[in-house]
Amino acid sequence: MSTAPHTASRPVPEAPAATVRTTGLHVRHRRTVALDSVDLDFGPGVHGLLGPNGAGKTSLIRVLATVAEPSGGRVEILGHDTRDHRRRGEVRRHLGYLPQDFGYYPGFTVREFVAYVAWLKEMPADRVPAAVERAVARVGLADRVDTKVRRLSGGMIRRVGIAQAVVNDPRVLLLDEPTAGLDPEQRVEFRELLRELGASSTVIVSTHLVEDVAAACTEVTLVDAGRVAYRGTPLALAALGESAGGPGDHPIERGYTAALRAHRAPEARAGRPSASEGAAR
Amino acid sequence: MTGWHASDHLVTRYADGCLPESDAWSLEKHLESCVCCALRVSQAVRATAAGPALAGIREAVLADVRETARTDTGTAARTDLHGTTRTHTGTAARTGVHKATPAGASGAAPAAVSAASPAHGPVSGVPTPARPAGFPARARLGAHRWPSAGPRTVRVLWALGPAVRGAWLPAVLLVAVGAVALAHGAGFADARPWLLALAPVVPVAGVALSYGPHADPMHEITAATPSAGLRLVLMRTAAVLAVSLPLLTLAGALLPSTDAPNAAAWLLPGLALTLASLALAGYVGLRAATAVTGGGWLCAVLGPVLAAPGGPTYELGLRLSSYLGGAPAQGGWAAAALLSAALLAARRPAFHFLEKS
Repeated sequence: MSTAPHTASRPVPEAPAATVRTTGLHVRHRRTVALDSVDLDFGPGVHGLLGPNGAGKTSLIRVLATVAEPSGGRVEILGHDTRDHRRRGEVRRHLGYLPQDFGYYPGFTVREFVAYVAWLKEMPADRVPAAVERAVARVGLADRVDTKVRRLSGGMIRRVGIAQAVVNDPRVLLLDEPTAGLDPEQRVEFRELLRELGASSTVIVSTHLVEDVAAACTEVTLVDAGRVAYRGTPLALAALGESAGGPGDHPIERGYTAALRAHRAPEARAGRPSASEGAAR
Repeated sequence: MTGWHASDHLVTRYADGCLPESDAWSLEKHLESCVCCALRVSQAVRATAAGPALAGIREAVLADVRETARTDTGTAARTDLHGTTRTHTGTAARTGVHKATPAGASGAAPAAVSAASPAHGPVSGVPTPARPAGFPARARLGAHRWPSAGPRTVRVLWALGPAVRGAWLPAVLLVAVGAVALAHGAGFADARPWLLALAPVVPVAGVALSYGPHADPMHEITAATPSAGLRLVLMRTAAVLAVSLPLLTLAGALLPSTDAPNAAAWLLPGLALTLASLALAGYVGLRAATAVTGGGWLCAVLGPVLAAPGGPTYELGLRLSSYLGGAPAQGGWAAAALLSAALLAARRPAFHFLEKS
C-alpha cells in the first residue's frame, strides 16, 4: 500500500488545499451575535451548511461572498485576505453567489440578466454570449432564455439565480438556499449539477433540506447559534444518528438532531459565553 | 469508405439535376462519408449555372463558422456550442441551396458541410457534460444573437443603473415637460426660476436612486462582483448626469425669459451638489449624503421663499440671482465642484468598505 505512492490508479491521498478559510470569524447584527469565533476551511467539493433558522448560515455566506463585513476575524478566499480591497476584485472574479433573495430589473430577459451579471463580473466580452448560453442550459432554462424574468415562476427565477452564479465558472460558489422553490425533479437535476460543479470548484450550499446534503455533499458543516456544531461527511453524520438515536425520518435527519443535541448539552450546563463577548476590533 | 466511388457520369448527372431522386439520395448518403466524391461533386456543381450562388453561400457559411470558432476560443462551452453551430450551418446551407437552385445543385449541401466540418471536427470527441434528459439544450442561434456591433450598445445600457431604468427617468421628464407645459400652456410666466430652483436636486436624487441595497434590486448580487464600489457608482452617476443636464437645460431654455438667471446657470451647482453627495457618501453612505446635499439646497433656496413677504416668486428670484447669477457665484460653485471631486478622490477607499452587518 505504501510502496507505490505514485501509481496512476491511486487517488490523491492528501486533502486538497483549502480555498476558503475563516479564522476567529465574528459577525454581529446590532446587538445579536450571528457568528462567534468560527474557524472553518473548505476545499474543492460540495459542502453542505446545515442548521436551524437564524443559526448564522446566511451571515456566513454573505461574509464569504464579500458582501458583508465581519466584525472580527479573518476571511481568506483563494489565498487572499478579503479585507484587502486591492485583492478583492481578483477574489470576486472567481466568485459565484446566489443570495437568499435577489431582485432584477423589470425588463430583463433571462439572457440579459445572466449576461449583465457576467459583465459585472468583468468577464471578457467575447466570452460572455457563449458562457451565458451554457449557464442557462446547465440549469435547464435553455428554452426560456429569451423570456422576461418577471414572467417566470418562483422555481425558475431560483434557477436563473443559479445560472448567474455559475456563469463565470467560479472557483468558489456560494449558494444560499438554492433548492427553495424547486420541485423534486428539479432538485434531483440540481444535485447532479452540484456534483458536476464540485468536481473542480469549492461549492458551499446552505440548506435545510437534509436530502440535498445526503445526495450531493461531500462534507457537512452544522451551524447552531453562531457556532460550528459538527463537521464531517454525510455518512459520518448518518452513522452518528444511528448510534445516538436522535429523532427523525432520515438517517441524516437523525444525525442532525443528535449532533445538535450533543452540541447544545454541554453549553447549556456551562452557560453561553458568546453573549458577553465584545467586538474583536 | 466501401471502395465504391461515384462515376463521372453519375456526378455530372447529379450536378445537372437530372439524376432520379432515389439515385440522388443514395449518392448523397455516400457523399456524407466520402470526401473524395464530395469534392468531385462540388467541383462539378460549381461548374454549373448555380456555381456563383453556391460560392456565395459557402463563403457566408465559412465566415459564420469562423466567427463562432473565434467567439468560443477558450470557452469551456465548446461542445454545446459547436453542436448548435453544426445544426445551424447544416440547415442554413441546405435551405439556402434549395432556394437558390431549385433542381440540381443539392449536391452542394454535403460540400458545404464538409467544408464546415474542420471547425467542429476536433471537438466532436469531447464528451458533453452529462445533462439529465429533462434538460434539453434546444438548438438555437443564441451565440449569434449579438452581432459584433451589438455588445457595445448593450454594455452602455447595462451601465445605466436602476435610476435611469426606473422611476427617476419619468420623473425627470415630468419636471422638464411639466415646466414647459406650465409656461406655454397655462401661461405661467415664472416657470424658469422654479425650474432652476428644483433642477440641481434632480441629479442628486438620481444618484441616490442609483446604488445601494435600498435603491438597486440587484444590489445583493452586484455587491459580490468586482464591479461593485466606486467604479459602478461613477458610471451610474455619469448616466444620471448625461440624462438630466441636457434635458433640464433645454427645458429651461424653452421657458420664457424673465429676469431669472440663464437656463444653464444651474449646471455648475447641480454638478457640485452631485459630486459633494458622492464625497460625503464616503463618510455617511450614499442615501444620507444625498439627503443632506439635496435637502440642504432645497432649504437654502425654498426655505426663506415660503415665508417671504413680497410673494414667493419675487423672493425666489432674489435667492436665485444671489446663488446662481454672476461670475463670483458661478466661480464659487466651480470651486465647490473641484473641491468635492478632490475629496472624492481622496476618500476613494471608503467605497471599498463592505456593508456593515
